[in-house]
Amino acid sequence: MLSNLLIPAVLFFALGFLARVIKSDLRFPADLAKALSIYLLMAIGLHGGYELGKADLLTAMNSVMWALLLGFGMPLIGYTILVLSKKVDAMNAAAISAHYGSVSAGTFLTAVAYLDSLQIEYDSYPVIMLAVMESPAIVVGLLLAAWSRRRLAAQQGVSAAGTANGDDRGGSGQLTHILRDAFTNGSVVLLIGAMVIGAVAAPQSMVKIKPFIEEIFMGVLCLFLLEMGMEAARRIGEFRRVGAVLIVFGVAMPLLGGLIGVLVGHWVLGFGVGGTLLVAVLAASASYIAVPPAMRLAVPEANASLYLTLSLGITFPFNVVFGIPLYHALTNWVVGL
Amino acid sequence: MHRLHAEKMITVITSDVLENRLIQAVKKRGATGYTIFRAHGAGTSGEQSGMLDVDTNIVFQVVVPLSKVGALLDALEELGRKGHHLRVMVADVGVLWPEKFE
Repeated sequence: MLSNLLIPAVLFFALGFLARVIKSDLRFPADLAKALSIYLLMAIGLHGGYELGKADLLTAMNSVMWALLLGFGMPLIGYTILVLSKKVDAMNAAAISAHYGSVSAGTFLTAVAYLDSLQIEYDSYPVIMLAVMESPAIVVGLLLAAWSRRRLAAQQGVSAAGTANGDDRGGSGQLTHILRDAFTNGSVVLLIGAMVIGAVAAPQSMVKIKPFIEEIFMGVLCLFLLEMGMEAARRIGEFRRVGAVLIVFGVAMPLLGGLIGVLVGHWVLGFGVGGTLLVAVLAASASYIAVPPAMRLAVPEANASLYLTLSLGITFPFNVVFGIPLYHALTNWVVGL
Repeated sequence: MHRLHAEKMITVITSDVLENRLIQAVKKRGATGYTIFRAHGAGTSGEQSGMLDVDTNIVFQVVVPLSKVGALLDALEELGRKGHHLRVMVADVGVLWPEKFE
């Protein structure tokens, strides 16, 4: 397993983590991480769209449907586990579980780097699943939060109408607004837009931008993961506040997601080892870009440090370092059955 | 100094995600403009590194006449009641051209 970790992307993640632990003054300029993530989404979208342009429409539609099912289903599983654990209240359970239905593009791209290093081919369909899975979990998280809020208000004998709204809009207007935000989220628009461009652009014109979207891609990913390593390490101090049970959740939930993803990827969608591993990573990863701002805005009662520590400080490093090789081993086993 | 007119400057430090809410709140209550700075720092909500959207703070400043301060503070208090974290400071300031803030 150790040799599988010796790829530059993972090593730069470790370097960022180490830099923060030893209190180095290494620091990225403001907004660089955001700029790098824009580049990465654009590049993966163009590349995936170009490949999808040559793909089978029925399989693509099937992938979209399963991406939606995973996006809606994983938060429900997470919410149930968290509520049963009784370690967090229902509002925190809703906000945390939303993160686990959405995806981490950083983890997905690390898995792509991992597959490239092992020279394993992968299907292009998981890229469209990546785009589709950004938003549904936000919707489920908001609905779970609205439901929990109403239940809490009923228990306390007060009206819950409009308790989620931060200003003058009513409760339903607020929900509509947040739903629109979920589906017009910048990452979703960029990823889907780049995929459409990649799919419809003339192949000879794509050759011209190939150096930009392919040859420098892994280098940019290394820079992005260096910063994410620092961000992940910054969360270590919060572990005590999060508590052992939630830390276990932050590891168990991706393992469960990975298992479900492997079964969906291979048995349902019929992907090979590469494609199945990517579906496993999608189901296993937790969002730390799109979902946290949505939850901070719409579920202000939830503690942001809990869901950020879980998704960015625990699940993300676990997936990058241990999860991807584990899901690969599981995929090999299932494919070999 | 005789050309300066007394106004109130409200400064709000909060999460980047509340930017649109704050803009709508001040516009609705008759403020003629506002200024926003991206910021990082630390407080009771922990450190805000400014590297991710969710980890970025803003400093939101608006200058209004005294007559508009009450309604604006009510709107900000309402945000706080919902569970949002924000720091609000009100200062006396002197401005040139007071008609710009009416």
